[in-house]
Amino acid sequence: MKLPKIVVILAVILMMVSCVPGMPANLVPGELTHVRLPMGYVPNVQYAPFYTAVEKGFYAEEGIELEFDYSYETDGVALVGANDLQFSLVSGEQVPIARGQGIPIVYVMAWYSEYPVAVIAKSDQNLKTPQDLAGKRVGLPGLFGANYVGLRALMDYAGLDENDLTLESIGFTQVEALAADTSQVVVGYIANEPIQLAAQGYELDVLQVADYLELVSNGLITNEKTIAENPDLVQRMVRATMRGIQYAVEHPQEAYELCMNYVDGLENADQDVQFQVMEASMDLYQTDPYGYSSPQSWSNMQNVLLDMGMLKHPINLEEAYSNEFIQ
Amino acid sequence: MRYWWKKNLFKIGFPVLSALVGLLLWQIFTSLSDIPSFIFPKPSEVWQRLLSVIKDGSLLFHTLVTLQEVILGLALGLLAAIITGYFLAKSRLVEQVLAPYIVASQSIPIVAIAPLLVIWLGPGILSKILTSALIVFFPVLVNTIVGLRSVPSELYDLLRSLHASSWQRIIKLEIPAAMPVFLGGLRIGATLAVIGAVVGEFVGADQGLGFLVNVGRGLYDTSLVFVAVFTLVVLALALYGSVVLLENRLLSWQKHNGES
Repeated sequence: MKLPKIVVILAVILMMVSCVPGMPANLVPGELTHVRLPMGYVPNVQYAPFYTAVEKGFYAEEGIELEFDYSYETDGVALVGANDLQFSLVSGEQVPIARGQGIPIVYVMAWYSEYPVAVIAKSDQNLKTPQDLAGKRVGLPGLFGANYVGLRALMDYAGLDENDLTLESIGFTQVEALAADTSQVVVGYIANEPIQLAAQGYELDVLQVADYLELVSNGLITNEKTIAENPDLVQRMVRATMRGIQYAVEHPQEAYELCMNYVDGLENADQDVQFQVMEASMDLYQTDPYGYSSPQSWSNMQNVLLDMGMLKHPINLEEAYSNEFIQ
Repeated sequence: MRYWWKKNLFKIGFPVLSALVGLLLWQIFTSLSDIPSFIFPKPSEVWQRLLSVIKDGSLLFHTLVTLQEVILGLALGLLAAIITGYFLAKSRLVEQVLAPYIVASQSIPIVAIAPLLVIWLGPGILSKILTSALIVFFPVLVNTIVGLRSVPSELYDLLRSLHASSWQRIIKLEIPAAMPVFLGGLRIGATLAVIGAVVGEFVGADQGLGFLVNVGRGLYDTSLVFVAVFTLVVLALALYGSVVLLENRLLSWQKHNGES
């Protein structure tokens, strides 16, 4: 008996679908506390300390089973604020902005010591000081987020406002925009765009925001409820992460190799560039002491956000962060 | 009079009632639950935010920007789809040559190529118009082809017997005959044009309703996100309604024929 064609086609599709490997069965957590950590960006070598901490068993030793989540930074903040998740990695400016909207998040560990945003131009643009931004066409992902805050901080420092230069929202296409000269200056992360552009042979001028103003940078957040009800978990999470940071800094080659297990396609990427990206990120990790954020960096950040109108009223900064868990 | 009342109660009354009940349920749900407003705001909070952006003029400004992108994108998409569709409908050879490209282009998610359009065309309005046009293109193209191919061959014979010129054939036969199916494609295209423009704005823009959504998300101002999204819905409904009105006007001959 001959089967109708449609039945054969459906059967083939069904077989193909059934051959797709399913999600691995849920790991039995045992005594481990499961933590899903929104990272704010795609898998990347900059997360080497976290990958290292998992692979070396630092989280497991603290009773934590870590799952990486590469969703948006703002989603991470909202989920932690709503107590749907306990932790997230965010850029420093997100904390005052969120708390200004009544979101009860608390910053408990600095990951970067310096605000990682920089303005980048080809050397023929002669961008030597923030004042040289005047009259330039500046491309940035959008008028929100760390890039915008960093640029506005530099502009404030230089006494410039948005009428003194042309801001263009170009999405995350800074490398292409600068290479094609559609932007004279772009705003990006010190550990990413300048390295990518230099690898393509461009001579660059790079001004890092942190050289002009101390701003609180990327770090780990939790929420008030978790601190009140489960401070031990916060302590363990911070401790394991800090061990990961320290280990990655001391063993960069090993940390880079561990990234291969998490960053798809890393084997085929330009190894020199990727290693440089990781090393430049590591330069940013090294807060003294590890994990510490200074009151001055918080106060400066609040002032920048108030000037920008992203924060309507000052918030109580003492409630926004804590250095007690890095002890 | 009674007939008018009955007809309009059905057409206007029930949708309005349905919307009001929906709003009421939303308000009750958000008031009784402890969901924070940055996750799911109350209708009253969204209403307050709506009033504030109307008052400061920002909603009108961003809406007009998006509307401009949508209309230009729709026009460009329509023009490209009608011209291409005509040649595809008329020539099997052209269809065989172009079909793989056209079908393949439809399998590319617009969000994946939108950043490339920003790189190629710059961050201005052009990249948004093109994302809008690209998303409009396919449904209108398909309906144009189907519409043109549905013209009965006897009518072509009739025009040939009357020695009609090519131009007369297009104007008197093909356009009217293909119009109902084409307008069906336009209905879909008009709403998709809004999505295309907003995708373009999401990638890189400093104005427009997509930008307003991004600002709302960046500031955890979820009420603002709702305001921008509802405005987009209203924009899409208005465009859809305009196409329906156009359809009623252009296809009135069908009704008359049906009644006679």
